[in-house]
Amino acid sequence: MIDTYALVSVVDDDESVRESLPDLLMEFGFAARAFSSAEEFLASDCVGQTRCLILDIAMPGMTGPDLQRELKLRRQDIPIVFITAHRDETVRPRMLEQGAVECLFKPFSDTALLKALNAALPAS
Amino acid sequence: MTESGRSRNDIPFDGSTPIGAVPLESILCTEELRNRPSRLPEYENENRALVALASALADSPRTVLQTLADKVFEVLHADSAGLSLLTKDEKRFYWAAVAGAWQPHIGAEAPRNFGPCGDVLDHNIPMLFNHWERRYPYLSWAMPLADEGLLVPFYVNGKAVGTIWAVAHDKRRKFDAEDLRLLERMSRFASAAYQVVGSIENLRLEIAAREKAETAVRELANGLETQVRVRTGELERSTRDLFDTNRALETEIAERKRAEQELRRSEAFLAEGQHLSRIGSFSWRVATDEITWSEQLYRIFEFDIGVRVTLELIGRRVHPEDIPLLNDMIERARGAVSDFEYEHRLLMPDHSVKYLHLIAHGSRDRDGRQEYIGAVQDVTQRRLSEEALSKARSELAHVARVTSLGVLTASIAHEVNQPLSGIITNASTCLRMLAADPPNVDGARETARRTIRDGNRASQVITRLRALFCKKEATAESVDLNEATREVIALSLSERQRNQIILRSEFADDLPVVAGDRVQLQQVILNLLRNASDAMSAVVDHPRLVLVKTERDEDDHVRLTVQDSGVGFDPHAADRLFEAFYTTKDHGMGIGLCVSRSIIESHHGRLWAAPNDGPGATFSFAIPSAPGGLTGVGTHRDIRTPAVTDAAENL
Repeated sequence: MIDTYALVSVVDDDESVRESLPDLLMEFGFAARAFSSAEEFLASDCVGQTRCLILDIAMPGMTGPDLQRELKLRRQDIPIVFITAHRDETVRPRMLEQGAVECLFKPFSDTALLKALNAALPAS
Repeated sequence: MTESGRSRNDIPFDGSTPIGAVPLESILCTEELRNRPSRLPEYENENRALVALASALADSPRTVLQTLADKVFEVLHADSAGLSLLTKDEKRFYWAAVAGAWQPHIGAEAPRNFGPCGDVLDHNIPMLFNHWERRYPYLSWAMPLADEGLLVPFYVNGKAVGTIWAVAHDKRRKFDAEDLRLLERMSRFASAAYQVVGSIENLRLEIAAREKAETAVRELANGLETQVRVRTGELERSTRDLFDTNRALETEIAERKRAEQELRRSEAFLAEGQHLSRIGSFSWRVATDEITWSEQLYRIFEFDIGVRVTLELIGRRVHPEDIPLLNDMIERARGAVSDFEYEHRLLMPDHSVKYLHLIAHGSRDRDGRQEYIGAVQDVTQRRLSEEALSKARSELAHVARVTSLGVLTASIAHEVNQPLSGIITNASTCLRMLAADPPNVDGARETARRTIRDGNRASQVITRLRALFCKKEATAESVDLNEATREVIALSLSERQRNQIILRSEFADDLPVVAGDRVQLQQVILNLLRNASDAMSAVVDHPRLVLVKTERDEDDHVRLTVQDSGVGFDPHAADRLFEAFYTTKDHGMGIGLCVSRSIIESHHGRLWAAPNDGPGATFSFAIPSAPGGLTGVGTHRDIRTPAVTDAAENL
């Protein structure tokens, strides 16, 4: 089902997420890269190759939704899975409405993440 | 193996053969197939038939069996052709597909164990029959009669499921070896087709079952969503209620303020003597202590009108706690002539309390003698509304505390969720690495190490939060615990009056001072007094009594004890009392005792609770005394509220 070589990029200012998520993504069979800010991600050469973006909502500087808008302006249609440690039930429907594939509250389970990724990267 | 034309007498009687019917051998002529001249294969026809079958299988699998019958009929130049399948219970055959003269008999049934089809399956070989109605007379219903019938079994997965047959209705058509070859070929095809049709049928069932399960799941999810919606609605409603309460309290406060203003306005009117009937007035000649009262003042003091008024008589009505205030007032009045204003309480014979507001104007008469003329207003109502106002205020403050606690909780959850997220992701990765074949032990070790580190990080978040709460450094100063306690008792007077609580205090004379933060210690004492009050709010069958005691404790400690006669507590819960958010009260937050204990511990002391022998509980703390300090005798009292005596307050 999963495109095993798809690149999934993680953008989160929290270090433990940046450390832990790529390993899990690789266990799932993806290629993974982690960035500590939206700016760092935009400056990288991964934007065009990223097949799915796991994006923290609240970050200093450019926020997750800011990056989403920026990518839209650049016509980079990357499926986005938002993650956030701030459990506010009103956030999720808003994010989905604005085009996110999924919005997960930290801490989330590996199965929840895998489900979101399957939705983001349907079998071609 | 069989010979036709045997005399029927040579055949032993077979139990399964109907009486009068001929034996199986006499209707079989399979051997003849070898001997008859075989017609030439018509490969083109045969191929066309197989292609037609293959496309039927691809396009409409359900009709493939009928197509098969049609093609057998066609290729074998038969008069009738068809396919008989075993029923599920394997007791009967039914004609699943028929072409040619017998086409109208499609769907007909015949017993499994008594008929040409059964013979073919039993012997597991192709068979050519001649006029089988001689042995199976009941088959005569199938008209026209079969002159010859060629049958082959067909199998699916090694299991016989039926026969394929071709029939000639007159002697002109004789089947030969080529016909048998064709029929066997068709039979192999029938096997495959049957399997495919079976799989498609299973698939259809599976899809139906899955759709049903999906519908059930969807319904379940809908149910859950409804539940969530309902619960969210409830939460929203209760939040709205909270806001409504808040608004109601604000309105109440505004109304109280208006009431206060109105009271003040009427005071002015009264001062002008416009409504003397609501205010008592007096005159007092200081030199002779000659006192004159208006009738209204007699009514306020509840003395018989006309009784001679003396300071001693007044003292009998003044609240015992306010006697020092009265004495102070008299002393001042006797000194320099001035205007003065006092508030004090009366304790009436029925134990009710009146609050009086006294305004006096001092002057000298022609002879130079001091005289005061004044007005006394009964301000009990105003006092009561002030108390109600302060109650409303504290309720508002409680609401505010709850609200800010919600914000606090959200930010704590955010702080803790960050490392928790790392912990769960790392642990999941670790499990997946261990479950891999071969297990990735090094990777698992690394992720486990990170799990531990994130666990420590979560713990540090908690430590940081704790530090935040205790941010304020306690200032160390010499504190006279007796005096600090007296202040708290005075400050909380109105609260006790409202709750009809009698407070007795026993202060040790020779109490050493302690080193600490006066305000923090007073917070603790206030908290203990409030807890005592709250614990007694439901008591009606005995006096609501609080005993506050200070004394020297062992090891140069000073101990303060607050003993109440309230509901007490379960001895097993003694330790939980000091946990944050543990409360037995309806309106409590459950943080008071927890904070109190941390304050006392920061003073190197301890705070504990014990149930009384009788009703109620005793809370005590002990803190070390400051090195070399003793309470100064007659320390200053910097409060001007009615003084609290060490005797019982009778409220």
